[in-house]
Amino acid sequence: MENTVLKEELKANIVKFLNLISVNPSDIKDDEPLFGEGLGLDSIDAIELIVLLDRVYGIKITDPKEGRKIFIDINTMVDYIEKNRTK
Amino acid sequence: MLYIHKASCISPQNTFNNVDLSILMPSFENMLRAIEPGYEGIPPGQLRRMGKAVRLGVGAALPLLKDSPQLAGIILGTANGGMEDCIKFLNQIIDYDEGTLTPTNFVQSTTNAIASQIAFMSGNKGYNITHVHRGLSFENALQDAMMHAIEDPTKTYLLGGVDEISDYNFNIDFLLGCFKEKFTSNDALFNANTPGTIAGEGAAMFLVGGQKENSLACMHALSVLTSTDERELKESFAEFIYSNNINLEEVDVFISGENGDRRQDNFNTEIELAMPPEIGIVRYKHLTGEYPSASAFSLWLACHLAQGNTAPAHMVKKVGAKKTCRNILVYNCYQGLQHSFMHVTS
Repeated sequence: MENTVLKEELKANIVKFLNLISVNPSDIKDDEPLFGEGLGLDSIDAIELIVLLDRVYGIKITDPKEGRKIFIDINTMVDYIEKNRTK
Repeated sequence: MLYIHKASCISPQNTFNNVDLSILMPSFENMLRAIEPGYEGIPPGQLRRMGKAVRLGVGAALPLLKDSPQLAGIILGTANGGMEDCIKFLNQIIDYDEGTLTPTNFVQSTTNAIASQIAFMSGNKGYNITHVHRGLSFENALQDAMMHAIEDPTKTYLLGGVDEISDYNFNIDFLLGCFKEKFTSNDALFNANTPGTIAGEGAAMFLVGGQKENSLACMHALSVLTSTDERELKESFAEFIYSNNINLEEVDVFISGENGDRRQDNFNTEIELAMPPEIGIVRYKHLTGEYPSASAFSLWLACHLAQGNTAPAHMVKKVGAKKTCRNILVYNCYQGLQHSFMHVTS
């Protein structure tokens, strides 16, 4: 899958899994921080993202420290998915 | 005595903000779903995680908490709480072989999620309890609040009843025969003469306490019964009237929990026959549908009528002899087993 297609798919999945009712997937910028001042996600959302990676891409994250490097923004998530996906 | 100072209701009818019961909102496929407001007071980040029961409960409670005294506690009744999220979570356990599960569905699925969310949002660290006794959930919450008001009349509590329609639960209850087999419009509910009723949902919230000043209404007496026996119901009603010194000649209106289920008409008839003929009868289950804590709506309705509002023609089963509506008897029956009587005055 091309990088841009995967990005759009991931954004749509984030909106769906996190029920971001007022966010359009296309509004999420590739380099916008997912947590804090960007999309404003919190710790429960982090767990939802771990579930998303497991269910959609077959990636299991067992080390919480690993999550800090992956969930920075869409770019870092897509890089990680491309390297580790099993689905 | 428990005095009701404020009341709020989200239901399938226009009961929130501008109350208008004259227009009957229609049912769809034997369900009456709540008209959800915009929930302006709930931050979007929290709203997106809330299941419907939590939204209804929090949405109905927040307007009451504005400019109100510090709550001594939150006392709710809900039979099922966030049932939709609960079943989603249980299904995920199976679908994903007890693997990685989403926390949100789990958090929303517990019955006490509503009371805890209200406490969290209002910063209340007082008494917080959720009663979950099926069709008597709200009555148990009410009993709890009445006991607290006796203990310390100066304190104020949030009291409420909430339940949602869950598609999963609707199907289970349908198989049990709780709902009508053929689609029946709510405006024809009482003429259907068939088994079963239609499903409903809603949240009714009250600010209550032991002080009379500026109250909307007074909860004078409450009694519950679990029985399938008409004779026992009749005796229990007589005992309720006698032990609480209720003069039936002074009662203005009877609010009946009749729900269009032919198999439960005998209970309602039994109570109606026990009252003087000049008492007016008002019905409401065609507004709300049937749900375990629907009696919370009946208390909201009693408060509404006690404030001088009149019931529109579609709610009136029998026109009463009295013009006033300050002395109200309420009867509810859930699934032909759980019964409650309330006496409300203003």
